[in-house]
Amino acid sequence: MSSRRLLELLERAVRRSPADQTLMACERGIRTTLRFSHQRIHQNFHSENIDVWIKVICNGCVGVATTNSLDAAALRKATEAAIATAKTGRRKRGNLLPDPGKKTPARLTTYIPKTARQDVGDTTRAIAKAWQRAERLKYNLAGSFHSGHDELAVAGSNGIARYQPFTTAGIKVIAAAGKASGYSASVHRDIGRIDIQETTGRALALAEQNRRPRDVPVGVYDCILEPEAVAELLEWLGYIGLGAKSLYEKTSFLSGRAGDRIMGNNITLSDDAGHPEGLQVPFDYEGVAKQRVVLIERGAALGVVYDTTYGKIYRRESTGHGAPYDDTEGPLPMHLTLAAGSAPRSQMERLLGNGLVVTRFHYVNGLLGTRQALMTGLTRDGTFLVKKGRRAGSVKNLRFTESILEAFSRVAEISKERRLVADPTSGLQSCLAPALLIRGVHFTGKTQ
Amino acid sequence: MEQRLREKSLLNEAASALKRSKADYGDVRWVNETHEMLVVQNGAVGHIGTAVSVGCAVRALVGGAWGFSSSSRMTKEGLKSTAAQAVAMAKACAQVNGERVAFPASAPQRGSYRTPVQVDPFSVGIDRKLDYLFWANRELRDHPNIKTATTALEFFKTEKLFVSTEGSQIHQEIIESGASMEAIAEMDDEVQQRSYPAGNGACLAQAGYEYVKALDLVGQASRVRQEAVVLLRARECPSAITTVILMPDQMALQLHESCGHPVELDRVLGQELSFAGGSFLDPEKSGKFRYGSKRMNVTADAQCAQGVGTFGYDDEGVPAQTTPIVREGIFLGYLSSRESAARIRQNSSGAMRADGWNAMPLIRMTNVNLEPGEGSLKDLIADTRNGILMATNKSWSIDDLRLNFQFGTEIAWEIKKGRLGQPFKNPVYTGITPKFWGNLSGVAGPKEWTLYGVHNCGKGEPVQTMHTGHGSSPARFEKVQVGRLAYRQAGGRR
Repeated sequence: MSSRRLLELLERAVRRSPADQTLMACERGIRTTLRFSHQRIHQNFHSENIDVWIKVICNGCVGVATTNSLDAAALRKATEAAIATAKTGRRKRGNLLPDPGKKTPARLTTYIPKTARQDVGDTTRAIAKAWQRAERLKYNLAGSFHSGHDELAVAGSNGIARYQPFTTAGIKVIAAAGKASGYSASVHRDIGRIDIQETTGRALALAEQNRRPRDVPVGVYDCILEPEAVAELLEWLGYIGLGAKSLYEKTSFLSGRAGDRIMGNNITLSDDAGHPEGLQVPFDYEGVAKQRVVLIERGAALGVVYDTTYGKIYRRESTGHGAPYDDTEGPLPMHLTLAAGSAPRSQMERLLGNGLVVTRFHYVNGLLGTRQALMTGLTRDGTFLVKKGRRAGSVKNLRFTESILEAFSRVAEISKERRLVADPTSGLQSCLAPALLIRGVHFTGKTQ
Repeated sequence: MEQRLREKSLLNEAASALKRSKADYGDVRWVNETHEMLVVQNGAVGHIGTAVSVGCAVRALVGGAWGFSSSSRMTKEGLKSTAAQAVAMAKACAQVNGERVAFPASAPQRGSYRTPVQVDPFSVGIDRKLDYLFWANRELRDHPNIKTATTALEFFKTEKLFVSTEGSQIHQEIIESGASMEAIAEMDDEVQQRSYPAGNGACLAQAGYEYVKALDLVGQASRVRQEAVVLLRARECPSAITTVILMPDQMALQLHESCGHPVELDRVLGQELSFAGGSFLDPEKSGKFRYGSKRMNVTADAQCAQGVGTFGYDDEGVPAQTTPIVREGIFLGYLSSRESAARIRQNSSGAMRADGWNAMPLIRMTNVNLEPGEGSLKDLIADTRNGILMATNKSWSIDDLRLNFQFGTEIAWEIKKGRLGQPFKNPVYTGITPKFWGNLSGVAGPKEWTLYGVHNCGKGEPVQTMHTGHGSSPARFEKVQVGRLAYRQAGGRR
């Protein structure tokens, strides 16, 4: 890792830009991914990733271009392309660079040298050991392991100069045999905190409990959603309603409801990229310091996240949620954090009484009705029946169709423990979620 | 192959380095992608941008295991290091893998492919493109209830060189053009949307600028706007088991999710279990399993004109093919790669594609199409006593074996006594794949067969986004569970 050399390259390119204002961001990294199934690594790759985003402003108009080269000639060519676009004089939205003096990003340790130096042979041997354990129990172990390091640098003619290196490592495992399956995953900036054998053990234990899933009728069930299931719903809530673009387009469930109670008063949801248990990120692609933004407080709609462009539209400061400049999704919460409750997870099935425990969801879609946050999806890799507070076997996968605003108004218990849920191939996003006990979840279909 | 002499020379050197490393097989792929996007929203430009990405991928089979490496350093030293890294990755895996990869030899391929276009979209000026979008946008938002009107154009140019240790030398240049238009109407707490030519973003075709002009965004805008406004006062789609006619813009997603993904052989073999899931179509079902009614004929066609799943060769050098997937309702074949096909003693169907230079090829859908039947949409409606016609995908969800699905569409219309009636809002239908296709009771003829280009098919880890094509005529299905309110009527408390 070449420390701040990347930032210096960008600063030089910004100085050479003839545009009125110029902002450049670069994300580059090297990642290793191993995908395995049936005691074989079937995909094994080492890939370099690099993107440089350039935004210029000329006579109050914006131009954007992207390249994947840091050569001076490539940067010059991309800058010229952005300037040519700006000079058409057609785009005025977003014609503002952030104020560099407003807030300083937090100093965070996000780079662990051991993760960046991981030897692929050590990893393959550890995975092979996990296979042997699974084989003894007659399970196929399918999954992926990922480790890598990235750098994010932002430089602007407004004086912004930011640099942060990151490492991320993670493993995802499914233990499967016939209709039985169990899932487990682990992600961290420090590869030393990834225990492949322990993660595999959790997946195998779940699969063992899920040996003979049985049919249950569709209907309304009280449920415990494990953190992975909760995180998927939160991410969809973030996508459809907690960014300024969905508010602007009137599709958000917060549209016209600022201050209204939209969930139960035990729900407080924030976006917190500085949370010590999450995958921390100090600033966004515009170089703006990440703010902790409370989105839902005690069930009441409080706000959304902004970048500089939408901040100007709504006369707000950017909250540090600027995306790469070629992105058209707008600012989105990338570090959703649901406040923990007081119930120990170990007590929640007793509190559930009769109902279901959902390990995680598959293929959730939140576009059915975004104003109501109506979503559908299926359970996967372990759905368990609970009777009188005790597990009573597993059931076949079920489809839920539910307004998540309504479901989150019926949360009876929230676990005091939370889990970090993140895709290790995308080290700049994560979710911190507890388990939830929700009364009356609507299951509308089932698998065969 | 006369083009790109420098890159070709570098690729050949890398292939030679793989041979010297005693790789059983290796390929080197150079990719140069340009993407342009323009968005106009509510009468103002929301985005104009161009992205360029160039780099090279090396894939090596050493000791019966795969290794892959990629880099944007297009120099002799850069590629040498990339090739060495691929070999090292393969060797690390070979030490632990339980079995060797079976990868039958193939005759070297030499050839080229280029998308036939009338007007290169990258030769058309930004002003002309924006004028088109502004005009359509003005038409689209011409009603007080339209709160957000978005019009967009998108263009891709992908140039690829492919060289293998078997002696293949392939050059391809693929151009894709797409457009989208979306009107969001609001009244009180009600929000409804209509899109054209498809839902959920751009509809792409492998064609030039002539394609987006032919879509006639301006001419379609008033219909899209009016339908969005009408939906604000429309009745909720009733909950019932009834006859459903799906328009081609919804059939595209139905084919994609319930026919395209299940026939990907890597899913069948368990290689996608940890992300996208498996498939109900285990190899024993090939040639025997009844997938649908006799009217169901599905083809994976990598040679289909204007299809975004069309190419000359896939990303492991296999020539494009037309593969029968279902004939008269019987499941016949898979989308496959050289390795996966060998596992079931077949030949590759030529479906390996990567979404860029730093991605490993995976089995991807080409153009998975429902063959046309006979008659017209009008005939299908006239022949339906009671039912619902649904159009334009809005939401999609299917289980990890591709059996239980639920789709939402933007709009529906009642069919009563063989005629179209009132519109319905929030339509949803659900089913189990083989049962649903088993109730296919009619497919309209070739005149109404329309090809759509899906721009956002996700697969793999890290996720790769691929463009896939899906063509269909309007199709009718019997005994379908419809209605958004089903979730409130899910049965009693359990």
